[in-house]
Amino acid sequence: MAKALLLALALGCCVSGMAWLALAMKAHWQQLRGTQPLARRTVWTLRALGSLALLVSLILCLRADHASMAALVWVMSLIPAVMLVAFTLAWRPRWLSWLVAWVPVQRTRT
Amino acid sequence: MFNSFRLSMTWLHTWFGLVLGFVLMVVFFFGSLSVFDREIDRWALPETRFEPQTMPSFDARLRPIFEQIVPEEEELAAARERVGGPLLETLPLMNWNAYTTHRDPVLSLTAEFAVKNNPDDPYDHVHGHVTIDPRTGRILPHDDLNLGSDFFYPMHYSLHLHWLDLGYWLVGLAALTMLAALVSGVVMHRKIFRELFTFRPAKSTQRSLLDLHNLTGVVALPFSFMFPLTGLIIFAGIYLPVSETMLEPAAMAYQQAEAEKNGLPFQPAGTAAPLSSVDAMVAEAKRRWAARDMPGEVGFLAIQHVGDVNSYVSIYRAGSDRVALVGQGVHFAAPTGRVLYEEPPPPVVFGINEFLTGLHLQHFEHWLLRWLYVAGGFAGCVCIATGLIFFVGKRRVRHATQGIAGARWVDALSVTAITGMLVATLAMLVANRLLPAQLDHRGTWQEGVFWSAWLLALLHAAGRSGPVQQGRIAPAWREQCWAIVVLALAAVLSNWLTTGDHLLKTIRAGYWPVAGFDLTLASSAALAGLTALHLRRREHRHAPSAALDDEVASDAGAPEVAHG
Repeated sequence: MAKALLLALALGCCVSGMAWLALAMKAHWQQLRGTQPLARRTVWTLRALGSLALLVSLILCLRADHASMAALVWVMSLIPAVMLVAFTLAWRPRWLSWLVAWVPVQRTRT
Repeated sequence: MFNSFRLSMTWLHTWFGLVLGFVLMVVFFFGSLSVFDREIDRWALPETRFEPQTMPSFDARLRPIFEQIVPEEEELAAARERVGGPLLETLPLMNWNAYTTHRDPVLSLTAEFAVKNNPDDPYDHVHGHVTIDPRTGRILPHDDLNLGSDFFYPMHYSLHLHWLDLGYWLVGLAALTMLAALVSGVVMHRKIFRELFTFRPAKSTQRSLLDLHNLTGVVALPFSFMFPLTGLIIFAGIYLPVSETMLEPAAMAYQQAEAEKNGLPFQPAGTAAPLSSVDAMVAEAKRRWAARDMPGEVGFLAIQHVGDVNSYVSIYRAGSDRVALVGQGVHFAAPTGRVLYEEPPPPVVFGINEFLTGLHLQHFEHWLLRWLYVAGGFAGCVCIATGLIFFVGKRRVRHATQGIAGARWVDALSVTAITGMLVATLAMLVANRLLPAQLDHRGTWQEGVFWSAWLLALLHAAGRSGPVQQGRIAPAWREQCWAIVVLALAAVLSNWLTTGDHLLKTIRAGYWPVAGFDLTLASSAALAGLTALHLRRREHRHAPSAALDDEVASDAGAPEVAHG
């Protein structure tokens, strides 16, 4: 059971990590926040968070399994993570807004 | 011939991808199903729907069954052909083996018998084989078809095309093409990281197809690269059979030297000797695995030269917590039960080889990783399928204006290879549940349904792809999607009707082999239904009058779509 929990957390970290890395790109940031400019500092924060989450995901995998197995699980989990992020950005970008909740939303005048 | 490296890569990617894309589609799809081959077997053989079992007692349960095994009739007939006459009165028993995995409720036992009078091959032999319920020792009916492990799994490496081993060679060539397609695809793509998450479903059909092709191609790149590569490594012995042809004497000598070095007799002595307790040997092997900090269950048990004084028992650990396919074999002298040889951890090169083959053959116990493999395999399928559809989309309008039928026939073949393959697979599942239980050669009938359904899908695709020649979408796609919906739901329903195991029951009981497969079938039906509705909208958008202008305009508007 503990192993299942570790792996579930690893998957969660992997998906949010990929989402942060995606949102650090202007095109995907715009899918979520429209014309709101993406500050340079936010880019670096997002990239750092994304990389950190992927690292944590790897560590969780290593805690759950033998090293060779863990490496394989981690690499393979990147596949559904990226696909999930890409599809969410395309169809339901709002679902990712909690990941950048600390950046205030600027309302552009209509 | 080409102005730039990238153009030549584009040519390679397009045309090799097209020619072998159909084969690759089959390999990736059935390979993905093979990840859960044992679970599909449970779905297809309701009498085997019980929990996986560990290797039962050899002395009490397996030995009496092994002693009853006789050679298969078909193998005897084939051996008579090879010998060119009748076989000897008795065929001496050579060895026994039993094989199980952490996912197998049933256990398969095999015996090998020597064919002594073949002048061409002193090692010629035939097999006898039974599958038992290890809880009771009951022998299961012989002509049951294990749909997953005997049909879908071999499909992905042999295409069931045994004439001249053509299937193996086609799959090997396709695997090599996949590697080339991936490398050339990376060269063509250029914006690997910048467009990693890019998918724009609202743009033109071609644009979103290419997005999906790139997305699935890049994301699954490590997977789609490693699997053809490791597949080729696993079958290297078939593609480069040096140890069976020009180096055969050397290979035999090496095997003999290796066996003797480790104290394992290569040949029987010809003197009879009793077999001591194998259960005691199993206990000793398990003790040694635990001492090496890798406790486990027995996966493979083999007895060489049964009944001879030189007989020995080999016990291998079942794959579970490691990727590498190492059995940590422990070998015992059969008459005394003394340990002859305990295999040491493999040296680095063998270790890498075992990691690579283990990665592909996945004997490990890790349900998440299995599902991730399925995700990778399906991503590969989507990548190949979108590639084929993109190829047609690129040429549909041009061929229509020029009056060429090329795009139409490629489209018909794509329909057959993509939706047609699903139709055939699902038709086989429905046949598995609905054919009468007492039917002779029931397995052969199911295979017949599979191939006939696929042939029908081909005819349907050929007949219903005419509109491609007017630059429109072939209705064959939408119609076969509906066939998938109907057949997938029919499979779930017929499983319920013939076995009583409906989804609520299997989920509540936590019997995931059947529940998981039924859920997968139901989700496939839903996905195919959505696709069909979506296709209908697209077909309307590409109405006859507007089709040509619209396509030309959207092509011109998206210069990046130019490659392919």
